[in-house]
Amino acid sequence: MIMRNDILLDIATFLARRWSGNSKIVIVLSEDKTPISKPDKNQIILPIINYYPGTDFQKYRQWRVALWYESMRMHYSTKVLSYDHAFGLLLNTIETKRVEFLGFREWEGMIKEIIFNESISWLSRPLLNSLYGRYKVVEAFSQYFLTGYLKGEVFGSEFDRLKKASDFANELIEEAIKNGYSTNWIEQHIPKLIKMLEIDPLMSIPIIAPRTRLGMSINQSDLLKQIEKVVIAKHKYDDIDKAAKNIIEGNDVLGEFETLVNESKKTENKGYESLENIGLSIPERMDLDETQIYDIDLIRKIKAAFRDWRTGWIERHDKTGEEFDPESYTESLPKPFLTDFKLSIKTKVTILLDHSSSIEDAELGYKQATIALCEALHYLAIKFAVYAFNTEARQVKCWIVKPPNVKWSLISARRLVQIKASGGTPLAEIYGLLIPVTKSFKPDIMVTLTDGEPSDFDAVREMVLTYRKMGIKMVALGVGRNLNDSVGITHNLKYLNYEKTVAVSRLQDMPKKVINLLRA
Amino acid sequence: MMLEVDYLDWNNALGVLSKAYQTGLFALIIGPKGTGKTTLVRKFASQVKKELYSVNFSLRTRESHLIGTKTLDKGEISFVEGILVKSMRDAGVLYLDELNAAEADVLLRLDEALDDRRQLVLKEAEGQLVNAASDWFVIATINPLSHVGTKELPPQLLSRFPIRLRLEYPPEEVELQIINRHTEVDSSKLNDVKRAIKLAKNLRDAAALEELYYSPSLRETIAFAKLLNTGIKSNQAAEIVYANVYDQWGEVEYRKVMDMITSLFGD
Ligand SMILES: Nc1ncnc2c1ncn2[C@@H]1O[C@H](COP(=O)(O)OP(=O)(O)OP(=O)(O)O)[C@@H](O)[C@H]1O
Ligand SMILES: [Mg+2]
Repeated sequence: MIMRNDILLDIATFLARRWSGNSKIVIVLSEDKTPISKPDKNQIILPIINYYPGTDFQKYRQWRVALWYESMRMHYSTKVLSYDHAFGLLLNTIETKRVEFLGFREWEGMIKEIIFNESISWLSRPLLNSLYGRYKVVEAFSQYFLTGYLKGEVFGSEFDRLKKASDFANELIEEAIKNGYSTNWIEQHIPKLIKMLEIDPLMSIPIIAPRTRLGMSINQSDLLKQIEKVVIAKHKYDDIDKAAKNIIEGNDVLGEFETLVNESKKTENKGYESLENIGLSIPERMDLDETQIYDIDLIRKIKAAFRDWRTGWIERHDKTGEEFDPESYTESLPKPFLTDFKLSIKTKVTILLDHSSSIEDAELGYKQATIALCEALHYLAIKFAVYAFNTEARQVKCWIVKPPNVKWSLISARRLVQIKASGGTPLAEIYGLLIPVTKSFKPDIMVTLTDGEPSDFDAVREMVLTYRKMGIKMVALGVGRNLNDSVGITHNLKYLNYEKTVAVSRLQDMPKKVINLLRA
Repeated sequence: MMLEVDYLDWNNALGVLSKAYQTGLFALIIGPKGTGKTTLVRKFASQVKKELYSVNFSLRTRESHLIGTKTLDKGEISFVEGILVKSMRDAGVLYLDELNAAEADVLLRLDEALDDRRQLVLKEAEGQLVNAASDWFVIATINPLSHVGTKELPPQLLSRFPIRLRLEYPPEEVELQIINRHTEVDSSKLNDVKRAIKLAKNLRDAAALEELYYSPSLRETIAFAKLLNTGIKSNQAAEIVYANVYDQWGEVEYRKVMDMITSLFGD
């Protein structure tokens, strides 16, 4: 894979939020899905770049343009229907052109990429001669309406129908833009368009990825010819050859692409050739949305509870009203807003999360509490790292949720949400895997959250001692379903050489308990 | 001699400051960097024809700078009054810039002077008691707690400034007017300047979410307009003024901003 999913997710989130002006947008990367927006959910679903044909760079360019179109939809459309039936496809197609027009007013610099995209996607458009019946009508409409030309042939009366429908659709856009109408207004006119095209609104449309249609490779000279054609047809460049060459090279985006490729090669742990070599993994999938594990209320409460840590002040109300005497006044001045634990913020901490199958019942609350903890640590500017372990395909996995040298962000949260509770608790093995990264991070304290007995009791005892010899304070939090349960778990943990064991029966209390450990 | 200050009072901040002054209530201006806080205060002081005593706490201002120091002059020990004391005696406008960057010992002394008695005991000068002139006026600014590590003002001190003004980045049209006061924007460059304002707004939004580490101020948009007037191309000016600074947080950060620039300006 040329680009890591978390890196794609990071740039996509940034660009979509800026382009659309909507800071709430969440990107979901889903292997082979057609790009689609869900304005009501602030969500954009995107494929990964392999969905597109061409060279890696060309794939990236198409992916980026797709993201731009979806960002424009998020900004200008109120509704996006599914592409798999004629009604939805037609509405979305008209909206594509409308939002392109509106978006282009602001983002003029997108022009070359839009031309490139139109040209390359033309190559994967089906030849009309190979299509039959109503599907042919819909495809021909889409071709003609969006680009002004057709790939292959249609017959006289068919063409008249197409032309009329396309003129009608263009008028709709013009009127909508003139009067500031949005998606709903356009939608009201789709039935008429459907009648003009003589098709069935519920007729289903096959969705085929462009790469599948075209195969892996693209004939570059075909592409250049197509770019020239689009340049001539639409845009007033003085020197067409030069413009086309410029567009196929894509120098505007090349630097960005190269940077992201290089970034994808970097491992997150300096000094190790690859994460695989040291047995750690990064969640690859990025298709679950982290908003579900953000409990805003809990986060706010935890942050508020530790506010004084960050500010360094606590409010004190001293007695006043005594006779004013300058001498004693200056002497007796209390330090009304100084506190003494500012330095404790320097503590570095590693958090290890048990994701064995027994966590499953409480998984959501467990993840929410973890997010609240991380948000609070970030707020307090405490350096921290988060790892989690589970078992996937019978293999024990130790996941990097947040490495020490990368700031806390939604990428880490996105990773956490992908990790499913499953398997056992081979704690010693995990501690073993984490030794190299721990040695380089040198945390002051390592907090292990677990809900049960490790499968390798004696080995864990030894491992805990190994860590303690490195000067790391080892603490275990026993997470239980209720008070009895958690006390029981914690009791068992006591025999494992931890310096401290803490029972957690209410998950919401977990973040506070962890942070209070740092105060000591 | 006071220099004429060219300040565009787009949200009636000057009006509010005058009311605060009339009623003797101290004012606190809250706003991110480069939103015109200093310019506003200078304009206000020149309007009420008062001397401005400025202290900038981000420059590690020490207690002695505020209160004063003993010096030895021709064998005589004398006390040279600091800026706080001077402003109290001379009924000046004391401007405490970035007060939330002040050290605790400094805050303690201010806390004393700003309380309702408006007096200060100079333990540095034999317990002398300084009473403020009746129309002594104090304005403080704080930067919002956007970045990690910024301190909050202690609540006691906060309560000494019951008039609170928020100075945000102005709306896009106003930003253009402000730029026009600093440099003439040629009509052929107008679109580019508008884009730069939009870019700045975008980057500020991102920084507010901690998606970027720096948010450009009005200084950058003014600089961009000035640079354009030298004949430089707009995307190049944007790279110089807006993008390059992000390189210090890694190439990806720089590229993100460059992407905004290319999608706005093209080439
Ligand atoms: N309303 C305004 N009218 C005229 N110029 C302005 C206005 N607001 C900002 N400026 C200009 O923007 C620049 C930054 O303003 P200023 O230094 O006053 O900001 P500040 O808020 O004090 O910044 P900092 O927080 O960095 O000290 C100056 O060149 C100033 O002249
Ligand atoms: Mg200033």
